[in-house]
Amino acid sequence: MLPLSLLNAAQNKPMLVELKNGETFNGHLINCDNFMNITLREVYQTSAEGDRFWKLKECYIRGSTIKYLRVPDTLLDAVKEEQNRAREAGRSARGAHVSGAGARGRGMPTRGGRGMVRGAPARGGRGRGRGA
Amino acid sequence: MASLQGYVDHRVLLILQDGRAIVGVMAGFDQKSNVVLSDSKERVYSMDEGVEEIPLGLYLVKGDQIVLIGELDDAVDQSVDLSTVRAEPLPPIRY
Repeated sequence: MLPLSLLNAAQNKPMLVELKNGETFNGHLINCDNFMNITLREVYQTSAEGDRFWKLKECYIRGSTIKYLRVPDTLLDAVKEEQNRAREAGRSARGAHVSGAGARGRGMPTRGGRGMVRGAPARGGRGRGRGA
Repeated sequence: MASLQGYVDHRVLLILQDGRAIVGVMAGFDQKSNVVLSDSKERVYSMDEGVEEIPLGLYLVKGDQIVLIGELDDAVDQSVDLSTVRAEPLPPIRY
């Protein structure tokens, strides 16, 4: 499972973000991108020493400054389920138009073509051979 | 190519640049070595008392913070009584 798919699934969920400088941010995820830049709402910011606190309505955190994120345990199952469903949907959609003879294309060639016998030494198959 | 694929669904030890040691099950990773750890715990080492395990749950650690990832041998790990272990905590990395 990709870390970013977990993060995407965490939208509107509570999370804790610790920055490289040790500051932490507690809030609900509004949005995120592939750089792991994130926006949080209703944020409690804590200083690195843990002795000072701030309340922020909303904040933006640059992905590169993040050390780690802590997300709800339940997200893992949610994401796995979502991926299974997506895989099933993809399989049945692809399988639908593969029928009868002439269903060629991807996969190992069964016979003929330029497919080589498995385990055979790798020769030829490309270009015109040894050349003059 | 070096890959983390072999660690997926295994219990691993993560050492971070700030000296933290986190154990958890690797649920996923990506090209930048960002890592998802489920059921994770931080192990806090000290010379005065045994190792303290702090439950952290589901964690997403950024790759650029990670110093080391090692597979844990569950049998060996469970045979160690952490409360008897005394060790200096790792210092944070210095540049």
